[in-house]
Amino acid sequence: MLWQATANGLLLGGLYGIATIGFSMVWGVMGVINLAHTGFIMLGAYITYGLFRFAGLDPIASIPVSMAAMFALGYALQVLVLNRIIRTSLLLSLVVTFGIELVMVDAVSIAFTSDVRSVNSSYAASSIEVFGVLIPLVRLLAAGLSITLGIAFFAFLRFTRAGQMILATALDREVSSLMGINPERIYALTAGAGAALAGATGSLASMLFPVMPGMGMTFLSAVFVITVLGGIGSVEGCIVAGFIYGLVQAWAGYFLGANYQEIVGFGLFLLVLALRPQGLFGRAFFGEHA
Amino acid sequence: MSPPAAAPGARRRALLFWAFFALGALVLALAPLALNNYWLRVLTTVFMYATVTQGLNVIVGLTGYHAFGNAVFFGFGAYASGVAMTLGAPFPVALVAAVAFSALVAGIIGWPILRLRGHYFAIATVALNLAAIQLVIQVGGVTGGAEGLPLPLSDLPPGPLYRAIYLVMLAGMVVSTVLVAFILTRPFGYALRAIRDGERAAGVMGIDTTATKVAAWAISAGITGFAGGVWAYWITFIEPASAFDPAIGVKAYMMLILGGMGTVIGPVLGAFVLEFLATLVWGGFLQAHQIVFGLLIVVICLVAPNGMLVAGRSLIQRWRSRHGAA
Repeated sequence: MLWQATANGLLLGGLYGIATIGFSMVWGVMGVINLAHTGFIMLGAYITYGLFRFAGLDPIASIPVSMAAMFALGYALQVLVLNRIIRTSLLLSLVVTFGIELVMVDAVSIAFTSDVRSVNSSYAASSIEVFGVLIPLVRLLAAGLSITLGIAFFAFLRFTRAGQMILATALDREVSSLMGINPERIYALTAGAGAALAGATGSLASMLFPVMPGMGMTFLSAVFVITVLGGIGSVEGCIVAGFIYGLVQAWAGYFLGANYQEIVGFGLFLLVLALRPQGLFGRAFFGEHA
Repeated sequence: MSPPAAAPGARRRALLFWAFFALGALVLALAPLALNNYWLRVLTTVFMYATVTQGLNVIVGLTGYHAFGNAVFFGFGAYASGVAMTLGAPFPVALVAAVAFSALVAGIIGWPILRLRGHYFAIATVALNLAAIQLVIQVGGVTGGAEGLPLPLSDLPPGPLYRAIYLVMLAGMVVSTVLVAFILTRPFGYALRAIRDGERAAGVMGIDTTATKVAAWAISAGITGFAGGVWAYWITFIEPASAFDPAIGVKAYMMLILGGMGTVIGPVLGAFVLEFLATLVWGGFLQAHQIVFGLLIVVICLVAPNGMLVAGRSLIQRWRSRHGAA
């Protein structure tokens, strides 16, 4: 049973990692704590649900759709609202993004009611057995795709011009503007990319968890803890910390009982801040100083 | 920073301010004689939020620590008073328990958390808020756990009871406002503002910054816990999700922004304006009130990030300069 719990934790850990990358990047690059991030996850899940239910599209095939839709939404919100807020006060971004989250959750509640929905693909029930540990196929797929997307985003940051511009802005905003980079455009790009990753998370989460308007909020504590544990703005940190968090959660559930998730998460959060406030892979990012 | 010995003009202005404040409080205290139940409830809610916002003002406005999840103390206050009353304590004792327990929690948790700054502190309080919900569910037993906690019913008939709660909430708003004004005149108040404007410099000046911040948060938590304690008795049934609702803290934060951070009367003004606005909105959009509230947050932050008084002043200035030029 312990091995089963460990396997479950590791498989969920991949999803937790990808759920956090966008949030962590946005915080690292522009110093904004985006509470609407979990709303993007929820919208991604509903896009996958809608396409599955009404068009019969496979949940995995709908990932690009929810990523594209969330990129557009994240980009637009940054240009229309958040770039203006950043000019006045960074901490205001907390309130504003909370408001945006309220709007998204309530809009979905009205459109789809708050009933619990589910995405049951043809392979939802199949699983493989390794050394007596049962591994559901959808969880394996979700974990594998999460890591793939995480690596792809890492490569995007390192090896493309746009990615290099994002990193440059994160490291030093003033100098990057001297190099001819427009920070507000980079912020919009980062916000869009972060929202797109959240959308992908939602699509993957819809295969594992019930789809409902409040589902995004269940990721919030995980996202906080992993961001701080991995080091703000670090993609590789998010992925490693995601697995650690998944494992800790699974073991907490196994040894303590199912409902200790937030309490253990909060304990881990305090522990990291006390022992290693810069996180596992923390570096000097702009958001750090905000 | 103005010197403690104020100029005569300032003193007269302060006297005028407190005269108006006392008059307003008196009118509000007599108002239940004329109000119907609906407006009595609306005003009680306004006083409750004004008290919560005043509590937030102590830690955010005066000390500069953005306790985004301060509603956690509203929940602790509600549960402390609920549990005390279930165990047989009368309402006044339950309120003392609510204030003391909330302040105690802030005092203990403040030592590690208040070492964090800026964003870290803000999300630590949000995480605390989320963790508290599960903590109450886990503790179960006397808190009622996930099923919620019904409070003992009062012997008073509903009419006098609601008027009594109205007056207690009003007292909470008045006392917390006077307390903030009093703090501002004490060395403690100067220490808080010194921390807000430059923590390292405040330390160099000889202020024990950690102890001062913890004391400020305990006061903030006590005020917030008071409002939660009265609220629990008012609605007679509490559950973790409604007592620790993060939206309570966010609403208070909006009222603080609207009214003006770090001012004495700002939280009260913000609570009146936003709650009346919300009441009008609630009546019109029962289905979509969260959408409207969310949009309201975005609009307020875009239009009046420094409060409505500053926004109004700059609007008047712009109008004057345009018409002066023409």
